[in-house]
Amino acid sequence: MRTTTFLSLIGMLVFVASCVTVRPQQRAVPADPIMPFAGDPPAAAQLRHAIDNREGSYGGGGVSGGGCGCN
Amino acid sequence: MFAAAPARAQVAVVDTAHTFYHESPTRSNMTVYTPGVDIAVTPVPWITIKGGYEADIVSGASVSVKAGPAYQAVNPGADVISTASVNDLRHSPHGAVILRKGDVTYTGQYTYGTENDYKSHSIFIAAKTEAYEHNTQFELSYARNFDLVCDRTQAVNDRAPRFRALEDSNGCFGTSNPLRTRHTLSIDGLQAAWTQAWTPEFATQLAYTAQLLEGFQSNPYRSVILAQGLKAQEHHPENRARQSVSARANLYIRPIKLAVRIGARVYRDTWDITSGTGDIEAERYLFEGLRVAARGRYYKQGGASFWSDDYTGGDPPLGPKGQYWTGDRELSPFSSIAFGLRLTYNLQPTQGRLLGLMTGFKVGAAADIIQFDYDEYTLAGTPITNARAFIFGLNASASF
Repeated sequence: MRTTTFLSLIGMLVFVASCVTVRPQQRAVPADPIMPFAGDPPAAAQLRHAIDNREGSYGGGGVSGGGCGCN
Repeated sequence: MFAAAPARAQVAVVDTAHTFYHESPTRSNMTVYTPGVDIAVTPVPWITIKGGYEADIVSGASVSVKAGPAYQAVNPGADVISTASVNDLRHSPHGAVILRKGDVTYTGQYTYGTENDYKSHSIFIAAKTEAYEHNTQFELSYARNFDLVCDRTQAVNDRAPRFRALEDSNGCFGTSNPLRTRHTLSIDGLQAAWTQAWTPEFATQLAYTAQLLEGFQSNPYRSVILAQGLKAQEHHPENRARQSVSARANLYIRPIKLAVRIGARVYRDTWDITSGTGDIEAERYLFEGLRVAARGRYYKQGGASFWSDDYTGGDPPLGPKGQYWTGDRELSPFSSIAFGLRLTYNLQPTQGRLLGLMTGFKVGAAADIIQFDYDEYTLAGTPITNARAFIFGLNASASF
């Protein structure tokens, strides 16, 4: 039930997103290097590599990369 | 600040990153140097070929025999905790191909990892598409790991409480040492992400990540005291399903020219570990090309269902927890708080090339400190109060 509600909410948000328009001439800010979600991707990857081996959790940073005996 | 440099096709990009990690909590220490280099070549707009290499150079000492306060109380005066030196070198080359067709991008990557006691083959594929005039992005990715973990050969009639820990990595791979065996570990990872630009200054991202692990997941070198005279190799379940949902938001505040990033993640797995993460980062330009960022992160997790600080007895939460046992502090309940600073300098000439070669150059440095607070993990009853990690990162990128 909760999963169905969550998925329905996501579906509604995606529908609303289809109404959004950021015109090409407005993309200077989104295209700037200051705006990626990871900030500076190489620096974010470095921090995530260290943190992932020190916590029992996982997720949100991508699934690529090989395993290691890092415990 | 947002005047764009003339558009140039980047034929090649070379990235290098170096990370230094150091921690020295009670009775142990760990230093890891991780250098890496990546090269990406785009001969034509619809294909990019990437290759890279990363290493982990590990040195330190870790807890090899874990005991708790109840056991120490029965054995006063004895040092019931043992540590062992750790020195390892992991090599990890990788290669990828990225194909573009219209608004869709396909990625395929192979990563190989090798160290004295661990081998990994990883395949990664991803598809990303943009919709609604490029304001919406959907990405689906999958990874499969085929890993091998070295272990000590156990006696045929022994069961887990009698298993002995691996002494060292000698003879793990490449030899027919009868005292060495190899266990498989299969890992399937899946991530689905939706990124949305709502206004020119505000964007969000929602991601679901799942991972299935099947195989040997214990630390083969670590033992746990289970009873008087009984020391057994760490014994984790062989199956683990992990799920997380993460959400991020980017907001550019024009009046003060500040970009703010907020993130949150909730996680749960079948070992009964649940966690919550919150992070925030603020970044702005000091002058053309130079950005400074400050970030903070808070993390809290519960312990695994089979976690106990002392399996030999004591009042709850101490005591045995069924057929599995662990000495891994990362499976215990704990919280952490991190702070960091980052500097990035990006140089893109408006005319010509840098040094006659480069169309752009970027260099960055970051420093983070993480303070861990373990709710239940102790070393024979002695809490770890100085669990602090220092992370320094340097990275540079040149485009041609």
